[in-house]
Amino acid sequence: MFYHAIVFLPLLGAIIAGIASLSQQHNIAILASIAGVCLSLLLSCFAFVEIALGGQALTVEVARWIGSGDFQAHWTLRFDTLTAVMLIVVTGVSSCVHIYSVGYMSHDKARGRFMAYLSLFTFAMLMLVTADNLVQLFFGWEGVGVASYLLIGFWYHKESAHTAAMKAFVVNRVGDFGFALGIISIFALMGSVQFSDIFANAATYQSHVITVFGLSMPALELVSILLFIGAMGKSAQLGLHTWLPDAMEGPTPVSALIHAATMVTAGVFLVCRMSPVIEYAPLALDIITIVGALTAIFAATVGMTQFDIKRVIAYSTCSQLGYMFFAAGVSAYPAAMFHLTTHAFFKALLFLGAGSVIHALSDEQDLRNMGGIWRKVPVTYTMMWIGSLALAGFPFFAGFYSKDMILEAAYAAHSGPGILAFWLGCAAALLTAFYSWRLLILAFHGTPRASAEVMSHVHESPNVMTLPLVPLALGAIFSGWLGYEVFVGHDMAAFWGDAIFILPGHDALANAHHVPVWVKVLPIILAASGVILAVIAYIVMPSLPARIALLFAPIYQLFFNKWYFDELYDRIFVAPSVAFGQILWQRGDKGVIDYYGPDGLSGFVKRSSGMLTKLQSGYVYHYAFAMMIGVVVLLSWYFSGFGR
Amino acid sequence: MISSFFFYLFAAVTCLSGLMVVTSRNPVHSVLFLILAFFNAAGLFILLQAEFLAMLLVVVYVGAVAVLFLFVVMMLDINFVELREGFQKYRTLGIVIGIILLAELFTTFFQLAGDSGALPETTGVHNTAQLGRVLYTEYVYLFQLAGLILLVAMIGAIALTLRSRPGVKRQSISDQNSRRREDTVRLAKVRSGEGAEAKEGSH
Amino acid sequence: MEFSSLTFLAALPEFILIFFALVLVLVAAFARHSDGHIKTVRTISLVGYATGFAALFLLPQGATEIFNGMFRIDGLTVYMKGLVLLGGFFACWLVGDGWGEGIDRAEFHLLVLMAILGMLLMISANDLISLYMALELQSLPLYVVAAMRTGSLKSSEAGLKYFLLGALSSGMLLYGASMIYGFSGSTGFSEIAASLTTGDISIGMTVGMVFLLSGLAFKISAAPFHMWTPDVYEGAPTPVTALFAIVPKVASITLILSVTYNALGEMAVQWQQILIALSVISMIVGATGAIMQQNIKRMLAYSSIAHMGYALAGLASGSMQGSTSVIIYMTTYVFMGAGSFAVIMTMRRDGLPVERISDLSGLSSTHPIQAAGMMVIMFSMAGIPPLAGFFAKWYVFLAAVDAGLVPLAIIGLLTSVIGAFYYLRIIRLMYFQEANAPLDKGGERQNRLVLFASLAVILLFFFFIGPVHDHASSISGALASFS
Repeated sequence: MFYHAIVFLPLLGAIIAGIASLSQQHNIAILASIAGVCLSLLLSCFAFVEIALGGQALTVEVARWIGSGDFQAHWTLRFDTLTAVMLIVVTGVSSCVHIYSVGYMSHDKARGRFMAYLSLFTFAMLMLVTADNLVQLFFGWEGVGVASYLLIGFWYHKESAHTAAMKAFVVNRVGDFGFALGIISIFALMGSVQFSDIFANAATYQSHVITVFGLSMPALELVSILLFIGAMGKSAQLGLHTWLPDAMEGPTPVSALIHAATMVTAGVFLVCRMSPVIEYAPLALDIITIVGALTAIFAATVGMTQFDIKRVIAYSTCSQLGYMFFAAGVSAYPAAMFHLTTHAFFKALLFLGAGSVIHALSDEQDLRNMGGIWRKVPVTYTMMWIGSLALAGFPFFAGFYSKDMILEAAYAAHSGPGILAFWLGCAAALLTAFYSWRLLILAFHGTPRASAEVMSHVHESPNVMTLPLVPLALGAIFSGWLGYEVFVGHDMAAFWGDAIFILPGHDALANAHHVPVWVKVLPIILAASGVILAVIAYIVMPSLPARIALLFAPIYQLFFNKWYFDELYDRIFVAPSVAFGQILWQRGDKGVIDYYGPDGLSGFVKRSSGMLTKLQSGYVYHYAFAMMIGVVVLLSWYFSGFGR
Repeated sequence: MISSFFFYLFAAVTCLSGLMVVTSRNPVHSVLFLILAFFNAAGLFILLQAEFLAMLLVVVYVGAVAVLFLFVVMMLDINFVELREGFQKYRTLGIVIGIILLAELFTTFFQLAGDSGALPETTGVHNTAQLGRVLYTEYVYLFQLAGLILLVAMIGAIALTLRSRPGVKRQSISDQNSRRREDTVRLAKVRSGEGAEAKEGSH
Repeated sequence: MEFSSLTFLAALPEFILIFFALVLVLVAAFARHSDGHIKTVRTISLVGYATGFAALFLLPQGATEIFNGMFRIDGLTVYMKGLVLLGGFFACWLVGDGWGEGIDRAEFHLLVLMAILGMLLMISANDLISLYMALELQSLPLYVVAAMRTGSLKSSEAGLKYFLLGALSSGMLLYGASMIYGFSGSTGFSEIAASLTTGDISIGMTVGMVFLLSGLAFKISAAPFHMWTPDVYEGAPTPVTALFAIVPKVASITLILSVTYNALGEMAVQWQQILIALSVISMIVGATGAIMQQNIKRMLAYSSIAHMGYALAGLASGSMQGSTSVIIYMTTYVFMGAGSFAVIMTMRRDGLPVERISDLSGLSSTHPIQAAGMMVIMFSMAGIPPLAGFFAKWYVFLAAVDAGLVPLAIIGLLTSVIGAFYYLRIIRLMYFQEANAPLDKGGERQNRLVLFASLAVILLFFFFIGPVHDHASSISGALASFS
């Protein structure tokens, strides 16, 4: 019952809030949704202690759903360590964001609806992480997609917001398509979508080969790659990342909750959850590693050049997700989960801090119009510092433990992709520190670049917005130190139990503790130099960035325009699809399908209907005659010998 | 031998009169042929030693149902010739269908020839007595069911035909009996020149 | 013969209905005809249905046969009786005071009660004679109530047509029954089944079966024995149409189920062909016939023909999955029928019932709750997931496919697409058309119970598919073919 409550309390909250907001009862909506999520957090903590620390993985049945022939789909919740960790992350961040939103959205007329969406998102996310089978996970997966769509487009009267919402949805659809194909191929392969069955049988399918369109490949490789495509979509990995920066059109709490801390990590979660399958797919692992590493460096380069405060953080998220993926790619799933957890805290903190800045500056998001406000918003300023220190991986902050662990594991993997990931990761670490401090300096220091009127309104955010930052800041400081031993240290095996499976040969994580000292120190040095570079570029010699940009104009333009991904996609996919769609619509749809299909068919049906109506003459003897004919025809069928 | 003769006699007459019921132009004749068919069917029952059913057929169908038909047909002025015209269009098709059905049924019954295991054995007890033995014991359920059906038929017939016409005066005995003096009689002092009605108006 | 023991308890619901029927006879005959009179009568019959329903829970578990094996109860019959009693309750509730329909009379409720009783007996019939008698007990009152609107030519016509064609179908049924008796030597279902296990199946049995099933097909208005349905649905007073649409088909389908699976289980190859033919024709006729209709009752008549086609498709698969799917189908059918009539019966203009489809236009603005409810029901009838109607169809098609009847399933899918057209047309009218003259307000209050109950089932069915399916599957295990 208490496990059910974790998942369903947010749903209950969402329903109550939704109904209440219909009649403009915003206070009820806010109370209900916050109560739902916070209670769920409380229970999640108990669950964490019991499951992760107590080592009691369990499944809870909610309902028997469909059981027909081979197709068995039951609604069961699976609670193991992986789930427990995600529960804490999801409900924890969600609770903070819920409370923060009360302040942030206090002027919005539809704040009740907003809270309902947030709770709905939380429910969907919880469904995702507690899923016991792939179909259920897919339900949660699509659920968070819908909630994300609703929240990005929350200010739907803004053209850019609903375009962004649509973009997020469509790009995700590409990934979802891969995911769905993955589920289908697993079902085709193993005849089950139940995790327990899949995990138990994965080893026996190692040598199976699937042939698609004359192309043979190992079945588990295909499955793993398809699932990873799904993960790429949701976690905004290189190629399918374009929606994430645009998603910043949504209200800032949404960015913090969905596009930083929880939903985008669903892909990482999926890869970790499916580790018993993916471990048998070496090619897929390499692909994951490479894509992750490329994303890490790519996003970091773009992040350096952006001027929208939220976009900078969004690209940073993208980059950090890349870290998590290449950790998973070298079989260091615990490290990926560890970074996921710490990242959730400091990234949510950064986003909420950024929201606070935006709030203070009367909804200004452009870094070029900020600056010089650090004295007026001391709390926010401190929080942003803590978040940036954690993000850059300074010693004893959360990011230090997890990011270094990932880099060490990548190095210790001793494979080509692993080394590539290590060096790209190191480079990204430098850039991370650089853009973090660039953001800090541009936002808070220097001369104020905002108009005088805006500057006169600058104020610290109310308590309801600053208090939720405190637990997140504590998390950003201490979670790495606290979690190190259990997540990736000596207690690792006991902690994770059966939730994560690592093939005996894949010992990157075990070796990570025994890497040369320079590997451990390098990231710190790089981070420090990143900070120094940022200070030099933006405080000591403020003219430097512009000169460098001029000097390396092509590269700067490339970074600034996000490597032209959007333009590329527009050319390659969008424009041809539109043109093709036009042809299909005019020629194919109207000309052929409508003509013969709906119009032709409906015409035919209408004619036959008319005939039938004519038969219905109203004369009893006609009717009786029809009955007799019916009997005689049926009888003759048997007498003529067909019926035997 | 004799029973075979009677069987074919009764059967032939039944079939012929059945044909006449449908084909004769005068509806009164139709009903009369129907009665003839009933009589012959009763004869067939007797040949099967089912004398109770035979009597029942005569008493109920001939005595009640067919006579009722006769009354109805005579009382209603229906132009049957006109009605029949609708049928003419479908005569050919009808005949074809009928012949096919007949042929098929014939084939079926030829298969049955010689196989009459379905008939229960007669143990020297009269058919009527046999019926009496089982009707209220083994078949009490069906008997009760038949009772219910008759009840429904009766209620249904009444419900369809009974019409309470407003404005028709009826005697209601219970109303009359339960009436009390106080309800209806009022003593009024009538002053001369004013009348009782005026007084009532001021009540 | 047992007269003494408590085995008669197996027919407790029927006894209860008989009791209430007799009470109604007395009330109808002796009670004072005042304004509250009809209310009392309705309450009595509602209590009757409810008590009968409650009595179902007192019945002995497991299969029991009483009255010399003519009356059988088991899990399946009890479940179907529950559906029938529930449907009877709904229909009776919807009648209200029957004002404006010419059925504001005690006899109406009495006859309906008797018809429901007949249906219960049909469900329990385990013998050709009891089958026929129960069928007549069910049919006679229905003929009468169809014709009951005094002074309405249409109503009389409906009743007369129904009666004449019903008599013809009874004739066929009796003929078939006598052939089966002649060739198997018995009228009891289990004895017939036993006689079929030895030797070949004679052509006589097949002919008997054709006639028997034709007679029964009339009762569920399967094409080509359906032609009475639109006329009767249209002509009969609307509450009566509601009754026709909700209940009798459950009983008749159960009867077909027990005749085919219990008595003629060995002839599955033969009756499957009949059922397939009936199913295909019904689906096509039902789907195409409804399109041109202007009268909503006529449209629903065709819709019910199509529904029976789907149910028959499940039956035709001849497997346990098939019988399970039929049980599920009939369950949803009762609620969809009740719900749709709960809306239709509130359609009044200036106090008089209206029944053209176009009268529904603009319903969403004048009666939002009714319109939303009707929309859900129409979506469900069209088989849109995740509503009850979708799962009902899904199980039927699944059973058909698993039994190798892929073409049947494909025809079913095509006809449900056609069917979706006229269901969606109603939604379009309600939501996107201006009201020409608004319907009366206030009538909907009393139908709410039925509407909401149906909607609850249709909407929440999704969550209870597992248990419902399991139960349906376990009770269809009571059929002789599977034991």
